[in-house]
Amino acid sequence: MVRVKVWLEENLKGDPIIWAIVLLLSLISVLAVYSATGSLAYRKMGGNTEIYLFKHSALIISSLVVMWAVHNIPYKYFSKLSLFALWVSVPLLLFTYLFGSKINEASRWITIPIIDQAFQPSDLAKLALIAAVAGMLAKRQRQITDIRITFIPLLIWIGTICLLIAIANMSTAVMLLSTCLLLMFIGRVPVKYLMVVCMVGAIVLSTAIFMGQRGGVFFSRIEKFIDEDPNEIPFQAKHSYIAIATGGITGKGPGKSEQRNILPHPYSDFIYAIIIEEYGMVGGGVVLFLYLALLYRGMRVVAISTRPFGGLLSAGLSFSLVIQAMINMGVAVGLVPITGLPLPMVSMGGTSLIFTGISLGIILSISRGDHEDAFLSEEKAMGNMVKKVA
Amino acid sequence: MLRVRLSFLVVSLIAVAIFYRIGTIQLVEGEKWRQMSEDINLQYRPVKATRGNIYSANGSLLATSLPFYRVAMDPSVGKASVLKSGVDSLATRLAGFYRDRSAAAYKRMIMDARNQGKKYLILNRKQIGYQEKLEMMTWPVFREGRMGGGVIFEKIDKRYRPFKNLAGRTVGFLNEDQYGVGLEYSFNEYLEGRNGEALFQKIAGGSWKPLHDAEDIKPTDGYDIVTTLDVNIQDVAESALLRQLMNKDAAYGSVIVMEVSTGHIKAIANLQKNKNGYGYGEYYNYAVGEQGLTEPGSTFKLLSMLALLEEGKINLRDSIDTGNGSYKFYDRFMRDAKNGGYGKISVREVFEKSSNVGVSKMVHEHFGHQPHRFIEYISQVKLDQPLGFQLQGEGMPYFKDPKNKDWYGTTLPWMSIGYELKVTPLQTLAFYNAIANDGKMVKPLIVREISRGNSVEKKYQTETISKRIASEKTVKQLQSLLKGVVESGTARNIKNETYSIAGKTGTAQKLENGRYTQKYFTSFAGYFPADRPKYSAIIVIDSPKGFNAYGGDISAPVFREIADKIYAQDMEVQDKPTLEARHPASDPEAFPYIRAGNVEELRMICNSMGISNHYTGNETWVRSTISNKAIHWVSNAVEAPTVPDVSGMTLKDAIYILENKGLRVQFSGKGRVTGQSLPKGSSYRKDQVIKLTLS
Repeated sequence: MVRVKVWLEENLKGDPIIWAIVLLLSLISVLAVYSATGSLAYRKMGGNTEIYLFKHSALIISSLVVMWAVHNIPYKYFSKLSLFALWVSVPLLLFTYLFGSKINEASRWITIPIIDQAFQPSDLAKLALIAAVAGMLAKRQRQITDIRITFIPLLIWIGTICLLIAIANMSTAVMLLSTCLLLMFIGRVPVKYLMVVCMVGAIVLSTAIFMGQRGGVFFSRIEKFIDEDPNEIPFQAKHSYIAIATGGITGKGPGKSEQRNILPHPYSDFIYAIIIEEYGMVGGGVVLFLYLALLYRGMRVVAISTRPFGGLLSAGLSFSLVIQAMINMGVAVGLVPITGLPLPMVSMGGTSLIFTGISLGIILSISRGDHEDAFLSEEKAMGNMVKKVA
Repeated sequence: MLRVRLSFLVVSLIAVAIFYRIGTIQLVEGEKWRQMSEDINLQYRPVKATRGNIYSANGSLLATSLPFYRVAMDPSVGKASVLKSGVDSLATRLAGFYRDRSAAAYKRMIMDARNQGKKYLILNRKQIGYQEKLEMMTWPVFREGRMGGGVIFEKIDKRYRPFKNLAGRTVGFLNEDQYGVGLEYSFNEYLEGRNGEALFQKIAGGSWKPLHDAEDIKPTDGYDIVTTLDVNIQDVAESALLRQLMNKDAAYGSVIVMEVSTGHIKAIANLQKNKNGYGYGEYYNYAVGEQGLTEPGSTFKLLSMLALLEEGKINLRDSIDTGNGSYKFYDRFMRDAKNGGYGKISVREVFEKSSNVGVSKMVHEHFGHQPHRFIEYISQVKLDQPLGFQLQGEGMPYFKDPKNKDWYGTTLPWMSIGYELKVTPLQTLAFYNAIANDGKMVKPLIVREISRGNSVEKKYQTETISKRIASEKTVKQLQSLLKGVVESGTARNIKNETYSIAGKTGTAQKLENGRYTQKYFTSFAGYFPADRPKYSAIIVIDSPKGFNAYGGDISAPVFREIADKIYAQDMEVQDKPTLEARHPASDPEAFPYIRAGNVEELRMICNSMGISNHYTGNETWVRSTISNKAIHWVSNAVEAPTVPDVSGMTLKDAIYILENKGLRVQFSGKGRVTGQSLPKGSSYRKDQVIKLTLS
């Protein structure tokens, strides 16, 4: 036991509670996805349900490995890396919009050659934008009220990336915009500027709606959500409610979901409904609590971190993950109009799981604290050089 | 940190709201949703895959699945504005189309259903075809589609045989309990495809409504199978057989026509007297199946001669004393057909006159003390084994074993003339075909290819069962014997001047309840032309009535009739190839104007005129053939390095093709090309002149 503990302490650095939460969610994910793909696997693979279990478990494990690898990287590198990634994602997003494979009439995917894995460039852009915004805010903490130096570059980046994402994937864009707003709010950008961002955002997004591929879908969903006629509840929502209602307090038990056969994408968009159906209100509450706890631990990192970059990056990434989780769960219970956002760390999905792993790895890297020293040594070296020059 | 805490608080509030909503859905609205889950009856149901087609060798459709549609509607789907502006015109069209109720009645039906909140309304139970469906999709309201206007086309596939009962039992069928026969049954694995699945909702009245527009799992359509059957030969075989059966009021008859070198079955016909005693129909594949196993009679003497010749015991010129036509083996008399017997005749004459006494005496003399040797020859020509034919249910040949108790002293003599054993007509034919094919025995083949669209999934090549069933010398002798039967033996009546036939008649007394009756099983197996065999065939006719009940009189004429027609039709069989330039036959059925041309143009014309036409190849230039009132385009190989066939083309197309090949065109007349000075397929020089006649 002792040896295990020592090994864990040596290899899994950073906040142990975050580690625990991630592992717990991963476990829930494997259980829920296995059950939710039950009918799908049965139909597509001719009854071989284990294929999805193996596939999904392999992805979860790879995302954990990625997370572990990333948490060993001193987070200061992410500042520069994020800007580079931003530049890469612009052409990638454009390429995807023009040539990507269409799933449900929205081109959000490109296939990476050689390994033949579908990849959603918006995942990369999202991560890069949050890190870049955190970086820019941290660097300009002293001139935070300066419109020209601080505000304009931020606005340009946020506007560009959100627009590019919005033309194919409105919900992700809205979520990313709100995360950035929150991040700027935390980064002490004055509230009146944020109002401006809101305005710009509204304009950008509405442009995208008219230009984009899924404008019609967007409107019809919003329309349906707003004037909710009790007889006109969308099909998915109806079955999501049925799943939640029939789940009861303690649920029907693992693998006993019935609505998985009817709900579209029970393994991703509506996995929360399936979790409640199988594990009841208790299970749903536990998942909800785990995400809140994750956010809370991410916030604690903000308090610990002596560096503004670390704090802002950790806050941005935790909020991004948790807001997405809240939106997904909100869709399942009918608080939010229907969108296709997966539940981070839980839903089945290829590369988005890996990007979630990277985000969590960064948060852990910041939570370690020892990476702060990297900044110090660098500054000392810089200081020495400055002295020599002087 | 204040701002951070504030943000956290907001997210926490959202979490609380989510939890609150779970509580509301479960506890406050719970009953409603649980009730709804009882009411909504959703189910994944199979979406049928389209069954593959069965084609003849030249691409005619023998069986296909045609889509029909039942038109229904979800009246709640369409927007009020769409319905308001379109329903009157839609109702008028519906009334005009179905002609069963007035436009007002259709409008009332749709609007009432909408007002009652109905989700499903069958507009008419009559099924419509694909063309009609296409037309309906342009009607008001309907043109908005499933999600916009609420129209539902429910597809129902129906199996359709363009040639009706032609080769009916061979094409076969498959019913819903997976019981079936013929190709439909034997190749069902390929034909059926894989069903898809879609979510359906049960609606009042017990029917199921598809919930989404597309299937959740797409069905995979079945493969097409291309047979070796030739529609023309099949038609000839069936009509010739039918005529003879009716003439002789026989119980049933079968015909198989096979290509000698490849084993391709060109026709299989089986006709049996209808249960009510009038007319004939296909009810069982006697040519192949278990019930087709019979004592073959004299056609089996070919095997006896093969055994005797291979053993080197006899010479065709040896003479045999057949006496007065009766010979006693142990306690049983062997009798010849001719009263008073043939007396002393040569071995050749024994076979040509089909003397039972002669054959059985020779076999008894040479194999009587070692009957297993005779049985070994049966094995050598593979007659004791089923052929492994592609159709399910092949009959298993039956032979007695000398070691068994039921082997009597009389067994061998009777076996030598085709009794006390059972084989199917197809097995006998395979043996005769091997003799025609100079000793090489090939496996009969009826399905040549399995394909989907233009891609071939599987090809069946001709399989050789035995490279050589007997020595070359024996085979040559047997060929001359078979030729002799027609020249001067029991099948003299079918001899003709144009081409020669080789074959053997057979007449077996039928065994019923253990006694031989006065009913006969007559047959003729053979091939033609005798010196360069192209086709082999067997004709069996069971229980003909009337005075002359011999194979030579009953079955051989059918063979002759079929051979005559094939010979006239099939150029390759003819000994002297005709050198005349080919003129398109003035077939009254041929499509009058379009005979050949560019496929895209022709298809466009036909489609715009609503003429059904089919094309499966990928050549640019085609010529037309007529099948089942539709035009079938066949590729016109103009790419080959020889002179192409431009007959039937317009001058413009012909010049385009010929000049592109470097030929110089001169022409006379106008209209379409009717003749060309260089025959198709011949080689040519660059800048050579080709003269076209047009009319």
